Amino acid sequence: MTEKRTYADEQLKVIITQQQIDEKIAELGRRISSDYAGKELILISVLRGSIYFLVDLTRSMNIPFAVDFISISQYGEHADSEDVVRITKDLDLSIKDRHVLIVEDIVDTGLSLGYLIRNLKTRNPADLKVCTLLDVEARRIVQVPVEYKGFDLPNIFVVGYGLDYNEKYRNLQFIAEFDRPH
Amino acid sequence: MGIITISREFGSGGETVARLVAEKTGFLLVNKETVARGLNEFGIENPGLHLDSIVSKEEKNEAAENYIEAMHDFIYDLAIRNSLVILGRGGSILFHDFPPALHIRIIARFTYRVQRAMKLYDLNSATAVKLVKEQDRGKRQYYRRIFDANWNNLRQYDLVFDTEMVNLEDAADIIVSAYRIHAEPREVKDVPIGFEVEDRIAVPHSDEEADHFMHPSEEEFAHMLDFYRIRWEYEPRTFLLEWDSEGNVIEAFSPDFYLPDQELFIELTTQKPRQAWKKNRKIRRMKELYPEINVRLIDKKGFESLLRKHSKDTDEGEES
Repeated sequence: MTEKRTYADEQLKVIITQQQIDEKIAELGRRISSDYAGKELILISVLRGSIYFLVDLTRSMNIPFAVDFISISQYGEHADSEDVVRITKDLDLSIKDRHVLIVEDIVDTGLSLGYLIRNLKTRNPADLKVCTLLDVEARRIVQVPVEYKGFDLPNIFVVGYGLDYNEKYRNLQFIAEFDRPH
Repeated sequence: MGIITISREFGSGGETVARLVAEKTGFLLVNKETVARGLNEFGIENPGLHLDSIVSKEEKNEAAENYIEAMHDFIYDLAIRNSLVILGRGGSILFHDFPPALHIRIIARFTYRVQRAMKLYDLNSATAVKLVKEQDRGKRQYYRRIFDANWNNLRQYDLVFDTEMVNLEDAADIIVSAYRIHAEPREVKDVPIGFEVEDRIAVPHSDEEADHFMHPSEEEFAHMLDFYRIRWEYEPRTFLLEWDSEGNVIEAFSPDFYLPDQELFIELTTQKPRQAWKKNRKIRRMKELYPEINVRLIDKKGFESLLRKHSKDTDEGEES
């Protein structure tokens, strides 16, 4: 039954189809539109994986909103082990007293999202919630509240729809299981 | 108030040392009997069973727990008005955070203690061996159950006496002198920082500081937590998992990390799933026995996914 698709001559095992993603995003868009009707909503997209989700999600919404982007450093990016997490691209807009929805492609350990939430909360938004397309609860280390969720995933590697491996596969319109080369 | 706590292995002569120290200092001697008498005056009865054996049992005993709590309150109350020599009762733990307290441990070789027990109680050697073992086990389990502490961890004591080497009277005199010095630190003029020739040893390379980690993956994991400013502790707690019919612990488990802000214990394994079954079994057992504790196993795959996501070589993983 498993659907196979090819990408650059590779066979990929489809976990979530384009149609399933479209339907789920339409549903999330409806929920968010209704929950945030009449509120000053600002969507914060965490670079870079979530931009595909952000675009489709916002197109499925029918309320006004603002969009901003944030990027934080990741562990292992720099050889210096003394380094600590920091914001590498900060928001351009103020979130004070606004209703903030963080848009993520995937939440797994919660390490970076947990840091982001701690950081953004100090800026006194009216409230702060999380919307993620994929949730891998089995890998959670830091508990983070996820208000809107597309799909639960088991502890597997996936690519596609914004998720990359070495910058590859982002533009797949579906989610595929990916066996990391050993 | 002054506090001297004395913990002793059974048959080491600790009782005598405690009595002598109390006589020499004029401090009030607190032992199991004085506590029981004191609590009795408040109408609090010993639940009638041998405390050490109650707490060594797996099941909860509310009466025993209440009694122990009352006992701790009683000792703390007593300490407000009096200077004390506290024999046993977990004194070194109860007054761990009270710097003026002096914590003493009295030990002796097992065979020496057996011989003393034979003479003292007129026992044959087999019975004496059994008695010494049982008594030590009781004390060990009391510490574990009540304080979640290791009775045999000598680092919790300021002075340790082997009564086979030092006679009881001398030990008592040394303790009294030590207490006086300890309670009123003298001004030290000649050795301002205390560095002597023997200290001029090769300083280990700083990389070796991480040696106390058992495995490089644990060190890596700790670095990652530091990076994300997550507070962590390394193997702070041991969970008892299995006892034999005599109540001896035959299996225990110390998860690698505790994240206090997440109230989460984490065990890392980089073994292949086929070899990881033992750890999986321990974690299952731990979840059965301690359902209120959150514990999570990060297996080889999960750990690789962390590294994959968080390492330069493979660069960005799933989340980017």
